[in-house]
Amino acid sequence: MSQGTRLLSIWGTTFAVAALLSGTGSGGQEKKEEQERQEGQALADSILSQWKRKNPEKASDWVAEEKERHKIQPPADNSALLQSGEQGKGHVYGQYTERDLLMWSRETEKLVVEGSRIFHDADALRSTVAVSCDMCHPDGANTHPETYPKFQVQMGRVALLRDMINWCVEQPVRGTRFEPDDERMRALEAYIYAQRRGKSLEYGKH
Amino acid sequence: MHGKYRSFHKLLLVFASALALSVSLAVSLPLTGQGQIPRAQHGAASMDYQIKELEKLMLKADVAEAPPGFDPVVWQAFVPEDNATTPERVALGKKLYFDERLSKDATVSCATCHDVTRAFTDQRKTSEGIAGQLGRRNAPTVMNAALLQTLFLDGRSPSLDHQARMPITNSVEMGFPDGESAARAIAGDTEYKKMFQAAYGRDVNYEDIGRAIGAFERTLVFVDSPFRRFLLGDGNAISADAKQGFRLFNEKARCVTCHPMNLSNPLGTDNRFHNIGVSARTQNFELLAKNALAALAQDPSAEKLEELAIGTDLSELGRFMVTRNRSDIGSFRTSMILNIGITQPYMHDGTLETLWDVMDHYNKGGEANPYLDGGMEALALTEQEIDQVVAFLFTLTDDRFRSENQRQMELQRAQAAQKRPFRDDDLAFRRKMAFEERIK
Amino acid sequence: MRPKHKSVETRYMEERNEFFQALKSLDRRSFIKVSAAALGAAATRGIVPPTSFQPVRLSALQAGTGSDIYFAYISDSHLYEQDVNDRFVRSLLRAVDDVNQLDPQPDFVLYGGDLAQLGQAKELDLGAQILKGVKAPLRVMVGEHDWYLDLGEKWKSLFGQPTYSWDHKGVHFVTLMSVVEEDFWTVRGMSPMERMKTVAGLDNGVQRPFTVGAEQRQWLQNDLSRFGNDTPLVVFSHSPLYKLYKNWNFWTDDADEVQAILSRFKNVSVIHGHTHQMLTNRIGNIHFHGMLATAWPWPYAPEGMPPLTIQMSRPDPFNPQDGCGDGEVRVHPEGLVDKVYNFWNRNPVTVAREYTVSWGRESLPARPNRPSY
Repeated sequence: MSQGTRLLSIWGTTFAVAALLSGTGSGGQEKKEEQERQEGQALADSILSQWKRKNPEKASDWVAEEKERHKIQPPADNSALLQSGEQGKGHVYGQYTERDLLMWSRETEKLVVEGSRIFHDADALRSTVAVSCDMCHPDGANTHPETYPKFQVQMGRVALLRDMINWCVEQPVRGTRFEPDDERMRALEAYIYAQRRGKSLEYGKH
Repeated sequence: MHGKYRSFHKLLLVFASALALSVSLAVSLPLTGQGQIPRAQHGAASMDYQIKELEKLMLKADVAEAPPGFDPVVWQAFVPEDNATTPERVALGKKLYFDERLSKDATVSCATCHDVTRAFTDQRKTSEGIAGQLGRRNAPTVMNAALLQTLFLDGRSPSLDHQARMPITNSVEMGFPDGESAARAIAGDTEYKKMFQAAYGRDVNYEDIGRAIGAFERTLVFVDSPFRRFLLGDGNAISADAKQGFRLFNEKARCVTCHPMNLSNPLGTDNRFHNIGVSARTQNFELLAKNALAALAQDPSAEKLEELAIGTDLSELGRFMVTRNRSDIGSFRTSMILNIGITQPYMHDGTLETLWDVMDHYNKGGEANPYLDGGMEALALTEQEIDQVVAFLFTLTDDRFRSENQRQMELQRAQAAQKRPFRDDDLAFRRKMAFEERIK
Repeated sequence: MRPKHKSVETRYMEERNEFFQALKSLDRRSFIKVSAAALGAAATRGIVPPTSFQPVRLSALQAGTGSDIYFAYISDSHLYEQDVNDRFVRSLLRAVDDVNQLDPQPDFVLYGGDLAQLGQAKELDLGAQILKGVKAPLRVMVGEHDWYLDLGEKWKSLFGQPTYSWDHKGVHFVTLMSVVEEDFWTVRGMSPMERMKTVAGLDNGVQRPFTVGAEQRQWLQNDLSRFGNDTPLVVFSHSPLYKLYKNWNFWTDDADEVQAILSRFKNVSVIHGHTHQMLTNRIGNIHFHGMLATAWPWPYAPEGMPPLTIQMSRPDPFNPQDGCGDGEVRVHPEGLVDKVYNFWNRNPVTVAREYTVSWGRESLPARPNRPSY
C-alpha cells in the first residue's frame, strides 16, 4: 500500500472506531452506534474516493476494490496447518507461521481477483463487441470447470478449460485468443476455478 | 536362329508391346474422361463400366474389420446387429447396387444417381428417376455414408440398411409400388436365389435387399485425403493457404461448430439438423407449414408423409416433415465435408454450384427467416480468407480421386471468377442487418 | 462387446409409427381437435413434444372465446450501437419480425425493459427506431440499463412516464418502474457512466437492491383503489416483485409491501423481465412469470429458486441465440395467464394457468433435457 492510502485508511478507521466507541452503551444504543458507524464509513469512503480520483496512480488497493464490486470465493482455510502434530517442531519444511499463510493466500487471491477484473471487463478481453464474460456468467456461474477435460463436439476435439475460455473469447466476446501461458489466461482460469470452490471433479460431464 | 526369324520375332515383340501400351492406356482412362465413357440411362455411366472402375478403387481389406485408421469401437457401433459385414453380403449388395431391374421400368439402379464415376453421386442439382422425373433434392454421396447417424437429408431413415431400400419404392426415383413387387422383379433370377441364401439364409425379400446394399456400402470408405496425411504429421501434405484455411475453419469462419472432424467422426458433420436458410430464399415457410398440417390432417399415414416430403413443395420444410417440431422447419442434416470437392452442386436442393458460393452463403449469415439457426452469423471473411478456406476444403478429397478433384477445383474457380450470385458484402461485413429488410 | 442402444433415429421412427397408429384410431372430429390444437388445449391434454402440433406462427394461442386478451412480448435487448455490437441488433430485429408474423396479430406488444445496454441516447434511439417496425400497438416498460446513465431523461423523452396503467377488455394493466435503487453513486463521486456500468453488472455488489419505492407504492395504492377485489389485474415490472437472489438483483427489496397492496385481488399476474430465463412463481394469489431476453440468457441462481419453476434447458453457447427468444401471453377473463416462451431453434414451452393454479400438479410444462450444471 502506498503512503497516502495507508494514512487515509488509518484515518478513516480511527474515525469509525471513535464513532463506535462514543456510542457504546446498553442495548438501546445499538441503533445509534450502527448509524454513526455507517455515517463514519460513508464519510471515509467519500474522502477516499475523492482522493483516489485526484491521485489515480497511487490508489493501489485494487484487490479490495474488486472484492467490493464482485463476490469472490476465498481460498481454502489452512489454519489447521498451524496446529501441527508433534513432528512439526522438528520438520524443517513443515513449520508454517501465520504470516506464511497470509502471504500465500494474499498472492493466490491476487491472481483470482485479477481474473475477476478481466472477467468483468470487455476491454481487457479485447472484445470488439463490448461483451464481457459476466454477461453470460455472472459470478462465474455456468462455467463448470469441474467437467473438463471433455469432448467438445463443436471444437471436434477434447477441450480443457482454457480451450473453452479461448473459444469464448473468440466467438461470443469476439476478442483475440490468449496464448495458453498468457498471464491473463492464467488469471481467468484461476478465477473460474475459485468460483466453483467445493464442487467435486467430474471430467467428461456434458 | 537365322536372320529372318529373328527380325520377325522383333516385329512381333514391337507389335505386342504397342498393343499392350494401347490397351493399358485405354484401361487407365481418368475417372471422368470426356466422351469415352459408355452411358446408361439418365446420364449415368454404364453399369459394367462402373463396376470396372470400382474394382480399381477398392481397398482389398478384410470386410469384417473396421477400415484402416478408424476407431474400431466406434465403427462397430455403426454396424447393425442383424447385418454383420460378410463377403457374401457384400457381393450380393454389390450386385444389387448396379441392378437396374430394381426399378419399375428397369432403367434406374442405385448406381444411376450414386454413380461410381461421379463421386458416388450424380453431380446434378437434383436427381432424375424413372420416366425422366426430377426429384427435389440433391443426391448425397454414398462414400463414407456408413458413418452417418441418420440417412436422407431430413434424417427420416435411421440406418443405411433402411435407406438403401427406400428409393426402390419411391414413385419419382425407382417407382415400385411396394417392396414385394421389387422383390418379385428379381426373385426369378437363380443367381440371386443362391446369393440371398448364402448371405442371409432366406429367400429374396425386400428388407434383405436393403441390408445387402447397406453391407456393400459399408465398404465404400474413402478417407485418405491430403488433409488426413497432414493431421497425421506430414507438414507438406497441404499448402500454406490450406493450413490457414483450416485455422479459419476452426476459428473465425465458425465452420467447426457444425462440421467437426476428428478420428472418431472424420466425416465433418455433427449429424444434426440446421436451418441455414438455403430454401428460405424461395419459400414462404409459414404458408408451407400451414399447408403441410392441413394435408396431413386429411391423410396422416406414413406413406403420405413420404410422398409429400419428396414430391411436393413441402419437401422444403425438411426435418419438420419428420418430427413436426417447429424448431425443425426448413432444417436439413449437416452435410459431411469429406470429398466435398467432387460432390458438387451443394446444399439440399443443389442450388449452390461452387464452394465459393457456399462460402458466400455462410459469410453473409445465411438467409434470414423465422427459423434460422442462431449459430449462423455474418462472418466478415475477406476474399483471401474465403480462398483459403476453399483451398482447405479441396484437400479433403480422397487421393484416389485426385485428378477429378483438380478438375473440379479449376472448373469451380473459373466459374466463381465469373459470377458470385450469393455474395452480399453489406451483410457479410455487418453494414446491413439480416432481418432489417423483412420488417420494413 | 457392442453397446446395445437405440439410436435417436430408431426412437424417432418408433415414436412416429406409434403416433400414426394412434392417429388412425381417432375419429375425424377428435383428430381435427388434436391437429389444429391451440397450445393451451394440447398442454392440458398432456401432449408433449416432439410430436407437438403447434401450428407454426399461427399464434400458439388461438384467439379464444369470450374476451381473452392476447399480447406478445419482446424483452431485454441490451442494444449497443450497431457498429459496436451487431449481434444484439440482429436479435431484436428478429424478434420484431417474429411478432409481426403472428397470425392473428396480438392486441398489443409489450417491450419488457433493458432496451439499451448502457442507457446511451444512440442506443435508445436505435431501439426506438427498430420498435417502430412492430405492427401491433406497443407498450413499453423501463429496465435499469435504460435508466441509470441519465436517470431516465432520454427514456422519458422517447417513451413518456415509466409508471402508468390502462384498462383493456375488463382487465386492469399496470406498468411499474421497479428498478429504483438507493443512491450509491454520490458518496463515491461516480460519474454517470461509472454509475451506469455499476448497475449494468449483474453481479456488481456496489449497486443497491431494486425497489419500487414508497412514492410508487403510494401511486399503486391510489391507482388500484377504485377497483374491487374481483378485478383481473396484470402487472408489468422489470424486477420480479419477489425475492429470488439478491446478488444478481433478481430481487425487489420492498416486494412484501408491494405484494401486500396486491394481495386483496383474487387473481394477479406479474410479468417481469430482467431474469432472461423461464421462471415461474406463485405467492398467494399472485402468479409470476418471467420473460425471455433477445440478447443473451442468464444461468439460474444458485439459491432461492421458486419451487414452481421448471427450468429451461441449459443454453448451448455455440448457438449465440440459444435460450433467447420472445413470447406470447393469453390473459383469461379472470386475470390468469397462459404464458408461451417462444425460444429460437427450440420448441415453444407453455406455462398454462392450470399449472400455477394447481400449484404445479397439473399441466406441467416440458422438462429440460439439458439441466443446469
